[in-house]
Amino acid sequence: MTLSKTPSDPELLRLMIAGDEDAFTALYRRRQGGVYRFALQMSGSQTVAEDVTQEVFMVLIREAERYDSSRASLAAYLYGIARNHVLRRFEQDRLLVPIGDSADDGDSFIHPAMIAEDDPLGDLTRNETIDTVRNSILALPAHYREVVVLCDLHEMSYVEAATVVGCAVGTVRSRLHRARALLVEKLRTGRDRNQNPEQMNPARCFA
Amino acid sequence: MNCSESQSVLSELARDQMMDASQRQSALAHAVSCGNCARGLDDARALTGGLRQLASVDAQEQAPARVEASLIAAFRERHSASRPVPVNAPAASRRWLYIAVGVAAAAVIALLISLIATQTRSAETTAPQEARTQKEAPDGVQVPSPAPSPEKHLVPANPKRGVRPIKPVIKSTPPAPKNAPRGDVEIATDFFPLVNRESLNQLDSGQLVRVELPRSALMSFGLPMNMERAGERIKADVVVGEDGLARAIRFVR
Repeated sequence: MTLSKTPSDPELLRLMIAGDEDAFTALYRRRQGGVYRFALQMSGSQTVAEDVTQEVFMVLIREAERYDSSRASLAAYLYGIARNHVLRRFEQDRLLVPIGDSADDGDSFIHPAMIAEDDPLGDLTRNETIDTVRNSILALPAHYREVVVLCDLHEMSYVEAATVVGCAVGTVRSRLHRARALLVEKLRTGRDRNQNPEQMNPARCFA
Repeated sequence: MNCSESQSVLSELARDQMMDASQRQSALAHAVSCGNCARGLDDARALTGGLRQLASVDAQEQAPARVEASLIAAFRERHSASRPVPVNAPAASRRWLYIAVGVAAAAVIALLISLIATQTRSAETTAPQEARTQKEAPDGVQVPSPAPSPEKHLVPANPKRGVRPIKPVIKSTPPAPKNAPRGDVEIATDFFPLVNRESLNQLDSGQLVRVELPRSALMSFGLPMNMERAGERIKADVVVGEDGLARAIRFVR
């Protein structure tokens, strides 16, 4: 394959469907990072992220013809597949791991990796900001978590995120607002507990 | 600006998003005078900073190399099984396939017609001599004597095929010489009728004629064909009745 300029995703996809391995490789290398990170940030598990990444591109190999460029960008299409696989994985894991606590809004997607540190803001102030925020995100209900991951970590527009999630743009906006409020609340709660440790009860789950 | 209005823009303010300049000034001014909103703004800024750091660190995350290797292997396997099809012209490729099949079928029919004409002429002139030759040549192609009930030789119709294979009425292959190499052993399909059932039943005796056909003729009888070998030829045995009409065909490898 001779490429004089950087080909677009649809061009690479067209070549890939025609059997061009180089095009597939280029497309994979361009898009695998986002898919892998999305799955990792949603699940908190490298194993799950690896499996999901593999599944997403296997779907692309098998059913690339199903992609409709008029409906979404290829990136959004791949994120959508990844999202479905992550949620399916959560469902499977939920059957295996009994969880006592439930999310405050009824969402019960609680992954073991969601169990947060006892003191988020304390970690924050001890220069462990990243882990603290990561765990706080993992403690969010899945439908809040995904919009935070897509919009705040992957810098997707509301429109793109709505395409991935399969909901209205307004829904993304309201979920994101609520998710950020929950995250702030968790950080604030952690700070309050840090300031009054004798009143602190161990929190198993922030959601 | 009151607390409610301030809360609604805290997130945008913390993330330094584009917003009306006067609204920004009002929100910041309110945060200075309101401890609760000031704390909310600090929390929102801490969260924004944390999210940005997390995004920055995670930007280095990549799927392991083994995933790529596995996917490329899967891609190769899938595309080695099926020949690449031009993406822009799926309908055109199918059209060419139909044309190829049609041409192959026409070639088979033309060949059979020429065989029939040849056999008709030769039968008129050499029929007595052939009858003698068949009796005296046990190693040649043998035509059995008329069967009491030709129905017994018909196998049940294959429900998945439009073509009905029949058991060979005629011995399939001349017996190989004892010293013949094993690689010369021929494998043949069942016979496929070329005429209707009544005409087939009327077949009392006939001849087996070895011909060569385009490999695409396989598809005319619903048999699978390797498209990459479509240009090659394949051997076939045609059962020709005494009246010179071709009755059945089988393919030989």
